[in-house]
Amino acid sequence: MDILGTLIHGLNLAAIYGLMAIGISILWSSIGMINMAHGATFAVSGYAAWLASSAMKPVIAAAFGKTLMAKFAMAGVTVGAGVTAGAMFGAIIYLLAFLPIHDKPNYPVRSLIVTLAINLATVQLLLWYFGPRSRGLPKLFGFGKFEVLGIPIRYDQAGAIISTAVILGLVLLWLKVSRKGLEIRAMMQNPEGAVLSGISVRWTALPVTMLTGALAGLAAILLSQTIFVSPTSGALPLIKGLTIALLGGLGSVPGAVAGAVIIGFLEATVGALPFLGQRYVLFAQFLFIITVLIIRPRGLGGLLDETRE
Amino acid sequence: MADDSRYYQVGQRPREVVLHPAGDEPLRRHRVPFTRRHLVKWRSRANPKSLRHERRLSDKRPLWWVLGLGALLIATPFLSNSMITIAAIFCMFAAINVLWTLVIGTAGIFSLATLAIVGIGGYAAAGLNVWIALPWPLMFVVGGLAGLIVGGFLALPSTRLDGLYYALLTMGFAEICRVFVVQLKVLGPTNGSINSVGSFIPRDWFLQRPGLLMGFGGAFILLLLSLLVFRIVNSERLGMRLQTAREEVGGEAFAEAVGIDYRQARLYVFLITSGCLGVIGAFYAMFYMSISPSIFSLDQLLLLFAMIVIGGLGRSEGAVIGTAIVVLIDKGMLELGPLRILLIAAIMLGVTLWTDNGIAGIRDQFRTYRNRKKSEARARRTEKGGEVMPEEAIEFTDKQEVYYRRFQKRLRDHLKTLITDDLIEQHRKAPLGKHSDALNRVLNYFRRGEMADKYAIMRQPDGFHKYKVVAFSGERGAPPRLVDDKTYEDINDAYHAVFLLRVNDLLES
Repeated sequence: MDILGTLIHGLNLAAIYGLMAIGISILWSSIGMINMAHGATFAVSGYAAWLASSAMKPVIAAAFGKTLMAKFAMAGVTVGAGVTAGAMFGAIIYLLAFLPIHDKPNYPVRSLIVTLAINLATVQLLLWYFGPRSRGLPKLFGFGKFEVLGIPIRYDQAGAIISTAVILGLVLLWLKVSRKGLEIRAMMQNPEGAVLSGISVRWTALPVTMLTGALAGLAAILLSQTIFVSPTSGALPLIKGLTIALLGGLGSVPGAVAGAVIIGFLEATVGALPFLGQRYVLFAQFLFIITVLIIRPRGLGGLLDETRE
Repeated sequence: MADDSRYYQVGQRPREVVLHPAGDEPLRRHRVPFTRRHLVKWRSRANPKSLRHERRLSDKRPLWWVLGLGALLIATPFLSNSMITIAAIFCMFAAINVLWTLVIGTAGIFSLATLAIVGIGGYAAAGLNVWIALPWPLMFVVGGLAGLIVGGFLALPSTRLDGLYYALLTMGFAEICRVFVVQLKVLGPTNGSINSVGSFIPRDWFLQRPGLLMGFGGAFILLLLSLLVFRIVNSERLGMRLQTAREEVGGEAFAEAVGIDYRQARLYVFLITSGCLGVIGAFYAMFYMSISPSIFSLDQLLLLFAMIVIGGLGRSEGAVIGTAIVVLIDKGMLELGPLRILLIAAIMLGVTLWTDNGIAGIRDQFRTYRNRKKSEARARRTEKGGEVMPEEAIEFTDKQEVYYRRFQKRLRDHLKTLITDDLIEQHRKAPLGKHSDALNRVLNYFRRGEMADKYAIMRQPDGFHKYKVVAFSGERGAPPRLVDDKTYEDINDAYHAVFLLRVNDLLES
């Protein structure tokens, strides 16, 4: 078993799952929604990126030929389409699962059910329209690998890890310094207090859903460097993101990051162990999470559950 | 003159079925054997209007249950083979959902391990039947025991974790079960499923019409039993204790304060339900004569969740209605293909967006809506104008006052429409003497008024034809006050000035 390779693989998975988990976690803590349609966002963004890249392929080839510029343009188109589609789908979720019901009783359960229905419907629509065949996205970071301190790293792994770190850093910075970020953090701390100090729930929820949708779109493109896009490809990232968000404690961003790293390494390790293999990955993860939850019922960093009543 | 007056029946009360037993007839109510419960809820009262003794059914739900399930039982033997299968599947899923409702609604545990427990019960029963040739009646016992054991294992963290965390844990449990079953070496050749399980249906009848009817009969009995379990757990002592803990705000703390051990009660409900689900699992294995790992899959679970969500969480009729809708769409409209799931998702979306508690809750929701509209309309009708608002009416001992004020209000409203420029001009020309009907009505109203509202004309001491208008205070001993300094030279002008003041007061009231 190649320990260092496993390490890198784990970090790669952690980056992608982290994007999903942080989206779910932020959504829960700021607007109190368990977004079961996050997987649908993932699949929709993947398909949008695929559509855009295959539509733009001849155009880019005509404009730049086979230069480095062509690669950059392709990457820009793919990422742009995926992230935009994710944000748009986030807005749809906002329109269906937040706006009509956010002031009705029992909102968390209702939004969970609505997002579940959106997820079901979207997956079926994709299946209906595109068929069950999976599609490959263009390789953004190219093929090949390089070595750092004797560890071989594939380009897509390095790309995923670095771009996730950068994007997450940017998002957290935006949450920290911008006016909107301040409002969102106020909502996360105490929704009622935020409303009392004049923060509009509706106008704060829209950027949050769009932001988390965009994060899911990014995760879709990054994960599609290793797997293919298919209508049901969102299910597993959704379950992983949800479990990580719960493991980290819903609403805690550092907890989600820690959870993502742990689960990523766990998956890489279990997958690489010869007597376990890929089939036991989910098994091991659930076993681990159940153990953690029995010891710490609110997850690793979970405190907010108490305050969010 | 002959009395040909007719009574019009207003509202929906007249359409209610009411018995009129003779007053001296003794009340005979049948009790359910070994209990003190009555089968249906008859209530007697003396009708104060008709002065007759009447008896009405105050809870008609048992009636609807009997009608619905009876129709299913009678209609099924005449249906096609595929429809009989659908009816049987409906009964089986409805039984599962009724029990699940017990867990989510009554106990308030958000468990998603329902199908996992069913599957484990089924696998245990089927495995023992196939490998140690357990006879089929004992399979139910084995399934129940397996369900009970798994339920006990799952119930341990249920009081420690809350809501979503527990839901996730149970979802993970189902996944673990699936992987475990698929990885079992013994089941390797069949891809995790156990086939040719013994059953209460004879082997050569399987998938034949008599076999299908037997399967339906069994599933129907299963549904009846699960409804019985629901009734016994939900509406008897356990359910009553849990009802206290179910309040939104501080229910659990209150239950604890009055000495209800709600955690223990929840545990009991969970254990009972798990045992019953295990029995259903054994039935499931017998019904299909096989069991496969797909019972642990997330898709199946989501479909079941859609059923109870559409019907309404926490009510047995909701579970059954939701199951009927989803099973009919999912199994009955196979030609629609993937559109079925889309349709189910759309129904789910609509139900969640527009109803408060699923389809079973629509009746209550409609009544709440109608009552709100009614009170809004009442508030619009009764603008305040000296009239008594409904909420003030209780402050009056003499209810005649309420009606007197209402009469006065309507009278004033009517008189206001009579006052025109012509009328005022007519009074200016001739304050005294013969008047038109409208002016007479207005003047009569003025004359009948309260003393406090009235004016008088005071002759000034410095001249015989000098008048001023004064207003009465309405209080004994308090002198009238001068309205203004204007002096009238003509008595008719003074009359008219008083008239104008009164008209002004009337229009302002």
